[in-house]
Amino acid sequence: MSILGVRLDEPGRSVLLTGNEAVARGALEAGIGYASSYPGSPSAEVLGVLAELAGERGFYAEWSVNEKVALEGAAAASFAGLRAICVMKADGLNVALDTLTALSESGTKAGLVVVVSDDPGGHSSVKEEDSRYLGKVAHLVILEPADPQEARDMTVAAFGLSEQLRAPVMLRCVTRVCHAGGNVVLGALPPGPAGRPHFGRQERYITFVAFHGLQEQRLAQAKAMGENWPFNAYLGPPEPEILVITAGPGFLYAREAVEVLGLGDRVGILKLGMSWPLPEKFLLRHLKSASKVLFVEEVEPFHEENVGYLVACHLEEVLPLALYGKKSRHVAGPQGPGLGEIDVDAVVRALAALAGVPHETRSSDYGREARELVKKMPERELGFCAGCPHRASFWALKTAIALDGREAVVLGDIGCYTLGLTRSGYFLMQTVHAMGSGVGIADGLGKLGRFGFDQPVIALVGDSTFYHAAVPALINARYNPSRFLLVVMDNRTTAMTGHQPHPGLGVTALGEKVPALSVEEVAGALGIPVTVHDPYDVRGTVEVAYRLLRQDGVRILVLRRECALVAARREGKPRVYVDPERCVGDACGCHRFCSRVFGCPASIWDAARGRAKVDEAVCNGCGVCATLCPQGAIVVEGVG
Amino acid sequence: MAYNLIITGVGGQGTVLASQVVAAAAVESGLLVAVGETFGASQRGGSVMSHVRVSRDRRYGPLIPRGRATIVVGFEPLETLRVLLNYGNPSTRVIMNLRPNYPPGVLTGADVYPEPQTLEEAVRSISAGVFAFNATEIALRAGNPVAANMVMTGALAGSELLPITVPTYEKVIEELFTGPVRQLNLEAFRAGVRAVREGPPAEAARAPA
Amino acid sequence: MNLSGGPDDLVRKVLQPEQCAGCGLCLDLCPYLQVVEEKVVMIHPCGLKEGDCYRVCPRTPTDWEDMDRSVFGAARADHVLGHHREILFARATAPEIAAAGQYGGVVSALIAFALGRGEVRGAVLTAGAPGEMPRPALAENPEEALACAGSKYSAAPSLRALHEAARRGLEPVAVVGRPCQVLAVRKLETRPGLEAHHLAGRRVALVIGLFCFWALDPAFYAFLRGKAGDARILKVDFSPDRLLVHTDGGLLEAPVDEVRAFVRPACRECFDPTSEFADLAVGSTEYDEAWNTLVVRSARGEALVRAAREAGVIEVKPYPPERLPVLRTAVLNKKLRTLEAQAARGESSHLQLSEGYRRALTGRDQP
Repeated sequence: MSILGVRLDEPGRSVLLTGNEAVARGALEAGIGYASSYPGSPSAEVLGVLAELAGERGFYAEWSVNEKVALEGAAAASFAGLRAICVMKADGLNVALDTLTALSESGTKAGLVVVVSDDPGGHSSVKEEDSRYLGKVAHLVILEPADPQEARDMTVAAFGLSEQLRAPVMLRCVTRVCHAGGNVVLGALPPGPAGRPHFGRQERYITFVAFHGLQEQRLAQAKAMGENWPFNAYLGPPEPEILVITAGPGFLYAREAVEVLGLGDRVGILKLGMSWPLPEKFLLRHLKSASKVLFVEEVEPFHEENVGYLVACHLEEVLPLALYGKKSRHVAGPQGPGLGEIDVDAVVRALAALAGVPHETRSSDYGREARELVKKMPERELGFCAGCPHRASFWALKTAIALDGREAVVLGDIGCYTLGLTRSGYFLMQTVHAMGSGVGIADGLGKLGRFGFDQPVIALVGDSTFYHAAVPALINARYNPSRFLLVVMDNRTTAMTGHQPHPGLGVTALGEKVPALSVEEVAGALGIPVTVHDPYDVRGTVEVAYRLLRQDGVRILVLRRECALVAARREGKPRVYVDPERCVGDACGCHRFCSRVFGCPASIWDAARGRAKVDEAVCNGCGVCATLCPQGAIVVEGVG
Repeated sequence: MAYNLIITGVGGQGTVLASQVVAAAAVESGLLVAVGETFGASQRGGSVMSHVRVSRDRRYGPLIPRGRATIVVGFEPLETLRVLLNYGNPSTRVIMNLRPNYPPGVLTGADVYPEPQTLEEAVRSISAGVFAFNATEIALRAGNPVAANMVMTGALAGSELLPITVPTYEKVIEELFTGPVRQLNLEAFRAGVRAVREGPPAEAARAPA
Repeated sequence: MNLSGGPDDLVRKVLQPEQCAGCGLCLDLCPYLQVVEEKVVMIHPCGLKEGDCYRVCPRTPTDWEDMDRSVFGAARADHVLGHHREILFARATAPEIAAAGQYGGVVSALIAFALGRGEVRGAVLTAGAPGEMPRPALAENPEEALACAGSKYSAAPSLRALHEAARRGLEPVAVVGRPCQVLAVRKLETRPGLEAHHLAGRRVALVIGLFCFWALDPAFYAFLRGKAGDARILKVDFSPDRLLVHTDGGLLEAPVDEVRAFVRPACRECFDPTSEFADLAVGSTEYDEAWNTLVVRSARGEALVRAAREAGVIEVKPYPPERLPVLRTAVLNKKLRTLEAQAARGESSHLQLSEGYRRALTGRDQP
């Protein structure tokens, strides 16, 4: 899986691509002129790949400040006749939704494909939102690929579909497509770059309630196309006893489950590639022939509800028919139906129950000997990486808050620093909502002094999130005067999603150097005082934070220090180790501060010697532990 | 016939890169491949798994069903056992790094990390064959502990548990990496191949003291 | 006598009820006890059941008569003034030292003398400009010691400098401190359990204690700044009933009652205004600004005073006999007020006094 496969100009060749790379490939083959995105797992890599190829393929790609702005940029390209792709995660769709629902009504010109990636199970998200519902609200065609091949195929098809309908098309992917790898047969790349954009004086793209009827017409048009669309397919016997209705990777799980259970003659699989609008005739044809329907999808019962409604409207035609899925509790992950992601085992369990066959693949006794030997297996909590400046920041803030003694409230939001709510961040963060929400909530709390609220308020925001969402809240805090300390945890990157650049870095997705914005500049324009400090200087940060906590009004503390992973990759790491002569172990009285309290994963305890130790396989060489060791027992040597 | 391989470890150990190399080598060998990864937050110290499904004739979904792993390559002993309990069966073959990575709960004293010998014993008791060694030690000697992922990939290659030749893996590594990283990864990979074919060097045969 | 206890006990019995005297010895024992603006805070619970912080704190239970035996080798004869061999008036002979000092400059003269002749290699002192927050200082020569001259009126955690000296291997050291700091140092010297700690075994060769009836909260400095405005504060002083602020714009005065609100709560329960466990105790005479009261308590202190007199560094004269009852009354009243305050608070006292001692204080005031 690599960019080499994405750029390969050999139609018909089979390469290994991830779903994200396949979407990028599809966009290339469709001849896009414009690509925009805000990094969001699991689809962050799409624009990363496109940006690397933009120069050689002659199109434009950017990391936008947020998803709404990204979508507006893509819409502009579409209005001007350039095919455009805009990529976001489900939470990002929430940000762009105002514009997307409007675009659906105003219509577009050149193909506009909006790729939305959901994260069932929340591997890298705070929610597992099912964005199909919002696509339906926006009256958009929703396509769901099942694997990387379909991700490529549907992306190409989506552009044509978008132009036929003159509206955006939503490509809904999930983690198990985005981050899955599979063989993809490549198509042809366009011979040259996109043509010259033009936005005619007479063209109009107006959002107006009178155009709601047009939206319904488009959906009817799409519905008719869907009846004969190759991505809507049926696999199985002509008269199945059980009809599985599925979309996305659920199709692959269902297919494998049928094989595992040997139910190929009893179970048919209807795969929806167009999840909305429903190809009703196609569906009804197969619904009539079955007596049981099992819905396999994630996360929510979207098809279950829509097809259920379809069934209700055609009862005489389809009965007898029983519907199973999440509502019947048949399709469920370990936490229950509609929670978390599904897999082959979930479908095996459901089908086995419906078909009345046994389904154990291995003895239920398996693992007994091992469990007797190892009675307890510690869980792995998430935490800041070794050397992460956020760890130092959180320790300094925790100290300043304790010294202040007035029960400061700490608000946060989305980024690597969200881990500040865990043990790794000393459980400091008290709220997590949407991008930039911490600032907005701080703004609100900071106005409650009039009711006697006297706790200091601290909002934490990352550098990328600052540009994404914090500015309106700051303007509000100036206009409706508030009182809080905003700590911008500036690690000079958008870290959690893969170290993408942002406006504060002075470099674009295309690698062009541009003037860097800074928090100081933006805050200065708003008349908000800014202090900048290096969080690796923990003692200094404590002093600065303490002083700022005692002040009034809105003030900003920027804790600026590059992400440890980026720094280590670039510079090589100093060697950090514990001098076993100077470390006095448990006689120190610090009660194993480095490993047990400060909690860097590279600080471990050598039980055999009764001394602290640095795990060189994990350490990133930041040296902060050395500044905090009460005995001064940790040594930091030069690079190499 | 599918080879269901799970590469597991702790976020940051390079399991994703290893699975990319294996998958690319499989494709290079004309095989059909499906890969399922955990990205993102898990990389911040959580348990991570890559499912790599290799087949001559059929495309599979990205996730291996419970109890159907053919091979488990574990970069970390605790995670190896964890994955085996969920996905293993009595015929599963295992290649395992003996170097522990301590979770925060263990470091704070809330949990106890099991004895490495006990972990190895547990893994052996529920699988069909285990090659266990200190891959991190070998990587350290090659120049960077981070290259343990390539040592493990080399061990997998040399074991010939997958129908992919060692030269195919090396070709992929040469294409995928540039600069000094390429040389480091090749050396680490070759050391892993040697370890599984000739036995690991004495200092890498056991869990660290 | 049970002295075992840990950080949780320290928080519960000393920090939370505002009984912390701000001596500074618990700081730098671990990462968890920190100070800001002379307020000691435990920023994170260390989880240990017993700790050195509790052992050395002057406000955890202390057997007063046991401390007499540990420091001086015998029980005290004088229940009010503690062990003393002589009580004198004294002053520095060098005019620049006398001028720098609050009154007679005796502390500066003795410390400079001890440093100058190598009897000690460092001195734990308190530095700070008049009217500003003081800070711990570690002087290594007479000039640095002289820079610390002048009384400070808030509870600087100066014993942090003792940690610094120990870490740097600078020994033996002298310590100049308030009575609470003197007691903390003596607890450090006499309590078991500091085996591998950086402080263990380090020699404190000389302890000079100050007279102190109260320390003020740092909010006092904002109050002073408010009084002085833009004028530069040259010296802050207290007479029995007035605050005196010498500025480059003239002398400002205020009744001492205006300052009472700033008294550090812990000082209301202090039992030792004259540094009973020091080698030497030095204070104001409240009589003649050019002189100090000098109480010679131990053999070590006596030897230093003799050597300093022989070298002509200080001069002494007898303590006026008519002033002695005044001093005794002031000290006794302080002790009695403390016993009352503790009884009123309902907390068991940090003072472990025998019945005989208690009776001696409350029944008789003559040795």
